[in-house]
Order: sequence, then structure tokens, then C-alpha cells
Amino acid sequence: MCFCSSATRGFVWSDIVKHRHKLWGALLLLAGLHVVVLFAGFFAPYGSSTQDRNLPFAPPTGLHFVDASGKFRARPFVYGLKDDPQALGSFAVDSTQVYPVHFFVQGSSYKVGGVLPSRLHLFGVSAPGRIFILGSDAYGRDQFTRFLYGGQISLAAGLIAAALSVLLGVVIGGLAGFYGGWIDDLLMRGGELFLALPWLYLLFAVRAALPLHIAQWQVFLLLIVVIGLVGWARPARLIRGVVLSAKERNFVVAARAFGASDVYLLRRHVLPQTYGVVLTQMALLVPQYVLAEVTLTFLGLGVGEPMPSWGSLLASLQQYYVLSSYWWMFLPALLLIPVFLAYYMAADALQERLKTVPL
Amino acid sequence: MRYLTRRLLHAILLLIVISVFSFALLQWAPGNFFDAMRLNPRVSAQTVNGLRLEHGMNQSLPVRYAHWAYSVLKGDMGFSFSYNTPVASLLWARARNTLFLTTIATLLAWLLAIPLGIWSAANKGTWCDRACAFSTSALLTIPDLLLFLILLLLAVRTGWFPVGGMVSTSFASFDFWSKLKDIAVHFALPALGLAVVTLPVLVRHIRSAMVEALDSPFIRAAHGHGIPRTRLLFRYALPLASNPLISLLGFSVATMLSASVIVEVIMSWPGLGPLMVQAILSRDVYVVVGVVMLSSVFLVAGNLLADVLLFVSDPRIRVE
Amino acid sequence: MSGFPKGPKDPLVCIRGLSKQYVQRRPLTSAKFTIQAVENVDLTIHRGATLALVGESGAGKSTVVRCLSLIEIPTTGEIWFDGVNVLALPHKALSPLRRQIQIIFQDPTSALNPGMTAGEIIAEPLVIQHEGTKTQRRSRALELMEQVGLPAKWESKLPLEFSGGQRQRLAIARALALQPKLLILDEALSGLDLASQEMILRLLTDLQAMHSLTYVHVSHDLCMVSGLADEVAVMYEGRVVEQKTTPELFAHPEHPYTQDLLNAMPSLESICEERSA
Repeated sequence: MCFCSSATRGFVWSDIVKHRHKLWGALLLLAGLHVVVLFAGFFAPYGSSTQDRNLPFAPPTGLHFVDASGKFRARPFVYGLKDDPQALGSFAVDSTQVYPVHFFVQGSSYKVGGVLPSRLHLFGVSAPGRIFILGSDAYGRDQFTRFLYGGQISLAAGLIAAALSVLLGVVIGGLAGFYGGWIDDLLMRGGELFLALPWLYLLFAVRAALPLHIAQWQVFLLLIVVIGLVGWARPARLIRGVVLSAKERNFVVAARAFGASDVYLLRRHVLPQTYGVVLTQMALLVPQYVLAEVTLTFLGLGVGEPMPSWGSLLASLQQYYVLSSYWWMFLPALLLIPVFLAYYMAADALQERLKTVPL
Repeated sequence: MRYLTRRLLHAILLLIVISVFSFALLQWAPGNFFDAMRLNPRVSAQTVNGLRLEHGMNQSLPVRYAHWAYSVLKGDMGFSFSYNTPVASLLWARARNTLFLTTIATLLAWLLAIPLGIWSAANKGTWCDRACAFSTSALLTIPDLLLFLILLLLAVRTGWFPVGGMVSTSFASFDFWSKLKDIAVHFALPALGLAVVTLPVLVRHIRSAMVEALDSPFIRAAHGHGIPRTRLLFRYALPLASNPLISLLGFSVATMLSASVIVEVIMSWPGLGPLMVQAILSRDVYVVVGVVMLSSVFLVAGNLLADVLLFVSDPRIRVE
Repeated sequence: MSGFPKGPKDPLVCIRGLSKQYVQRRPLTSAKFTIQAVENVDLTIHRGATLALVGESGAGKSTVVRCLSLIEIPTTGEIWFDGVNVLALPHKALSPLRRQIQIIFQDPTSALNPGMTAGEIIAEPLVIQHEGTKTQRRSRALELMEQVGLPAKWESKLPLEFSGGQRQRLAIARALALQPKLLILDEALSGLDLASQEMILRLLTDLQAMHSLTYVHVSHDLCMVSGLADEVAVMYEGRVVEQKTTPELFAHPEHPYTQDLLNAMPSLESICEERSA
């Protein structure tokens, strides 16, 4: 996790895959991931806080097509769980209890986009069967459901914070580059200060100054703002560079000769040239900020229970018995990899695209 | 020489700004701490007010800053409410452990990265280079958190490494060599984790710096003169590439410090990281401020060291 | 030679004692060093005429025209445009003045925003000066396209779809949008191939007749501009060393630099004479 070297974070897969396809592939993957997370209520079989105290730390439920008697069934099914007589505290598959998997079922209610109530879920099994694709945690909560809902929180945090950082970067870098002089000096020195501090300690420090006992959504909001505020310096520097070269372009000079105001020049000619850098920075910052939120929550300093951030999903791994006995608790962490991969691929493809666009 | 004085002044200025920032932090928080105290029915209002006066809460801000800055410079960084010891001694022990871990991790990372980067640059375009680039990219997608957890899992499952801490419980009774071995076995995983996390970026930078150096006209001329390849790499290209790399060293101190927090918490290494986290959770303000200041000092010192190294190694800086 | 009969002989532009210094600071130190780009320049430009401003690179030609077109502010000196002391005007009053002086750059590609269509580019000055409605601006843009010899149906093409010569025509059309009195061509032909140069020169001559324009032609190429310039001013190391009418300059060059310039093209003399005929 590194705030440095955003310029060299690119991949070298260009020899393998054409960059045009890479951009579309990455964007498609990203879109898919975000859609699934956005409609978590639909894709998840259970509600985000549904517990089943009878099934703590249940292993991931396997899908079967052939039952115990060797018969093939077109509709997949899952087995029930019973206490394992050999290993105390864990579960074994009970092949006598068969629960077919149904699609487009009615389940617990949720709100689409926070507004429209619905009860439709993509798949589910009838009670008392449970379908735990990624297993369950100490309270018997489905990890897959929590992963999807957690994605809403962590991805939202990353996206909003990245947008904030980049916005600040555009404003500050734009002003510094366009006006130059003492404004430029002052802003860039300030940026150097921010770059020189260890970012995690900075986050901690600001988090420490905030009161501990405030509402969860307030914590979330404050967290996002803090993460976003800490990271403006690098985008600002890059955008300043673009603005510096853009304002010397002859068409800007010509427009100035026509009597264009500064606002017009910035809006019409200078800032549009920063869009490429802005997009690339967003693609690079979002995964970093998602990771920042996850880390803070993991350490207990971010959003707390019951908000299912990805960080809180991983927090239980700090306990010895979880780490040694319940391997499926790692799965949410592994699922983070494709998310980051998609973002880095997009950033890389964007950077290559920028180099080839004639400007 | 002017370059050095400039960098020194810059470092001092940075520290002053950070101290002001830390002090500002201190201003919000003690109010909260005393508020929390006030809520406690067992603490009388007079005691709270007395404590407030004691901490000089009724004086103006610049005066308080001056007092605080002066006492910090003398070595008194306040008192930890939860550990019930002066902050300075608490910090010192923990800082030593963190420095120890991060130094080893940095050495390890660079010792691995330099040969990899050079070799990659020297064989640019071959499948070895591509494989190297691919693996560094793959490593970059793995979040540090996950990596450390996997290492922890490794320790738990295989039992080759202890699961946390810096020393075993019976450390005091070991002889010298056993003590050394004990510590080594304890820092192996955290250091390895830190090194692996910072490795990809380093390799990437070293490779590009070397490639740029190798492409420069005077290297090509030297090659044309028939200078053998290894000599070319190490005696000619590497010194040329060292300028950006030394700056990178200064920069990587920051990432290393940040990453060390996570690794220390996960692997229970008794460094500044867990201390900081605990302090925030228990509202132990002086400790928080102390850690922030100390880590900033390390960072600034690291960058200054890099500047000095740059001055010593790159004659172009000296001429300017 | 411009065939347009000369109007009243009062000058359109009068530049007196123009000087421009550039000060550069070394970063993080207080050391400054000054570059004297232009020193004590006097120039007179007559209405409806064409002045050629020649000199080697770094002689200060571009600086003079940048000051004239109000892109830069001179350190000292006076600029009188159409009887008005330009530099004494308050900032707000400069806007109407800017419409009357337009500049065409050497590289048409960099002078056109690659993201804007031809129609948008030409109409931009009208947009900036808040003139006319959208439809009026569009029809004016199309009209100008016709004048410079570009088909109106290319209105929605991007600059990269045009050739170098065509881009320069676009730039000229844009410059004419506000009906300027003075058009400055800062090495506008140097970046083009000979065929395009010919065509643009012809276009410029026609436009001068059509709109009674005054031209300032900045160039290295004495030969080319001698074809259409009425007067020539020679610049050397930041000063104007000679200003004469074209035939007089060719016949009696005074300053050693001018003589060098003329001597540098003995073999082309016949071509020059051919062109000026």
C-alpha cells in the first residue's frame, strides 16, 4: 500500500493484450463488480444483519448435483449441517437433509438504492437450510452477504474519498499552475508537507482528534473526508504540471488575445486537458483509499459493528482460533484481489491511452 | 554545502510545522479527556479543575505551545494516562523495536530489489524480464493486509515461526545466542512481510532508473569502447542511476513506516503501531501526539539522510 | 504587391520607445537574471499597408508583436493604435481594442484546440465577446469559412482532419471573426510547404483588399515577404535598425545586418525580382 509511484504502477501486459481491449475489459469488470455490489440486496441470499446463532463458523456450503443415491438432479441442492461428532465445535455435512436451491426467491426485505422496497433475491434455499457460499462468521452471519454489503461501504468510501482528493487536486493544482508566482510556491510547499508525512500516522492523528462515540454514519463520513483530504498532494502536483503546459499552448494564448477571461480559459481550454490525468488518478487512488478504509476498520478505528465494512470482515482473523481453524474467513480478503486488479488494469490502460492521444 | 544547509533548514521547518500540527491536535483532545473525566462521578469537579490548571489550560495558545515545545525538546513528552508512565520512556522502548524491524525490512527489501532490478534492466525485453514484471504487478494487486494475514496463517499452520511478539516468554533465561536466535525467529515473518510489500515498487523504480541510465549516450559510447558488460553495469550505469534511487530511499521510509503499523498490530510486534492504536482507542492523547511527532522525526531524518547520501554520491549536486 | 490603393496616410499604429525585459528567478534563491528582449523600438504602420518585420531568431520580433497584440505588457514605451494610447487605458477598456488586433501564429496545429470543431473554433471569438445569438454566430462562421476557401460542409470536422495549409486558413478565418483592423502574422507561413505558402499569400492579398486590413508580417524570409510588403523593418538584437519602403531597402540598405541579409541571397535575386513583379 503505497502513496508513491503512481506513475510507474502500470502493468507490462501490453505485449500480451492490446491496450484497447484491456481498457474495455477492465472497465467491464469494474462495472460488473460495482453493479453486483450496488444491488447487494438482490444478489445476496440474506439480509446484512441476519444471524443464525445455531450455525457459527459454518464452512462454505457446497453445491451438489448428484445426491447420495447417485441420482442426478437438474436443480442444484445443498445439504444441511449437523454437529460433527469427531471435531467439537465444527460442522459436518448431513446428507439426509436436502435443500434445493431456488432462483429468484422471495426473502428478507431490502431497499433497492435505499428507496424501493423489494424482497426479490437471486437465489436462496428454504429454511432451515442455509446457503453459505463463503461460510459464516461467529454470529452465523453469511459471509457472502456481508461481503456484498461491506463492498457498498468500502467501495463507496474509496470512491468518494478519491473523488474528493482529485477534486482538491484539480482546484489546488489548477490554481497553482495557472497563476504561478507566490500562489504556486505556497500551495506546492503545502503539498510537499503533506507528502512528507507518513500518511497512516496522519490519518490516525486526525482520527484521534475526533470524538470516539459518535454515530456510525458520521464516523463513515468523517473517515471519507479525512482520507480524501490527506491525499490531495500528488494529484495536485500532476495536474499543476498539465495546467502549466496547457496554458502556454497557442490556442490558449489566442483565446486570451480575443479577450477571454481567466474563468473562460480554465473552463474551456485548460481544464479539459486535465481529464486524462484526472481519470487515471481516480483509477489509482480508489483502490488505495479502499485499502485505507479497510485497514482503519480492521484496526478498530474505522466504522464499527454492525456496519459490515470489508475491514470488519477481516478483523476476526486477528484471533488465533479463527486463523487456525476457519480458513474460509480468508475468502473475503482474497476476493479483494480482483477488485484491485480491475482498477489497476483500468489505470494502466488509461495511461497508455493518454500517451497515444495526440495533443 | 549550500545544498545541505538548504535541506537542513527545510527539514527543521517541516518539523516545526508538524509540531504545530501536533500541538493543535493536543488542544482538541485534552478537552475531551477532561470532559470524559468530568462525567466520572468519582472524580470531583475540583480535581478536574485542578488538573486543568496543572496542565496550564487557562493560558493563551502561543504560550502553551512555547511551553509544550520547550518541554518536548527537553525530552518530556507528557504522561500516559493508561500506562501510567511518562510518555517519553514508553515511546523510546517501542520506537527502538519499530526502528529495528523497519531497518531490517528495508535492508532486506533493497538487497532483493537491487539485483532484481539491475538484472531485469540488463535483460530488458527477454522473458525473464517479463516474468519479473508480471510477478511484481501480481504482488501489487495483493493488499498488504492480506499478505500479512497469509504470513500469519503460515506461522499458525506450520509452527515454524512464532505467532507474535518479539520474544518468547522465557526469554530472560536464555543465553546470548539463544536470545539472538529467539529474536531472529520472531522478526523473520514481520520483516519478510514488510520487505515483500515494498519490493515491487522498488524493483520497478530500480529497473526504470537502470534502463534510463543504460540508454544514455555516454554508456553507449563506453559500450562501444569495448568495456565489458558487468563493469559497465556496476561501475558506470549504477552510479548514474543512483540519484533517483537515493531519493526513492528517502521516500520509501514513509511507506515503510506506514506499513509497519499494520504488520506490528497483526503480528503483535511491540512497536509504535500497536501503541498508537491502543492510545487512540483509550484517548491517551499525549501518547498519540508523541507517536505522531516521533514518526515524523524519523521520516524527516530519513529524508535528510537520503539528501546527505545524495550530496556525497552525486558530484553534480556538489557543483550546484 | 498589394494592389489596393493606399488610404489616408496617417499611421494606424505608432510604437515609440518600446522595451521589454524578462526577469527570471532561480528557484529557491534570490538570484535573478534579466533578459533584454526588446530595446527602444520605434515602428510606424500605415493604414491598409503591409509591414514586414524581419530579423534572425531572438532578434525580438515576436516580443514586439506580442506587446502590440496586448498579450504581453511592455516594460516601457508607448503604443498608439488608431489615435488611442493603448497602454494608458484601464484594463476594462482593452477588451474592445483586442477585437481590432488579431494574431496568427506560426504553427496552426498548436493554435487550434484539437477538441473543438472547425465551426466552434471560428465562432469562438464571438462567444468570448458575447456577440450574437448561436444561429448568428454559426452563420458568420460559415460565411468566414467560405471567404478563406474552406467548404462550409467541413464545419464539424476536427483540426486533425485538415492539412497544414487548411489549418492556417481556419486560424485566419477565426482571426477575421471580430472584423479586426490589424492582422499580425507571426511567421505564419514558415511552417508550410511552398505550394500552401503561395495559396495563403494569395488569400491574404485578397482578404486585404476585401476588408481593408493592415498587415504586420513577421518573418526570417526577406524574399517571401518582399513580394507583398510595402514597408520593411529590420530588427537586430532587440532593436529596429532600419525601416524603409521595400524598393528603397533593396536598393539602399544602410545597416550592415540588412546588407548581410541581402547579400545572403544573390542567386535568388532574380527570383525575388520575379516575385515582386
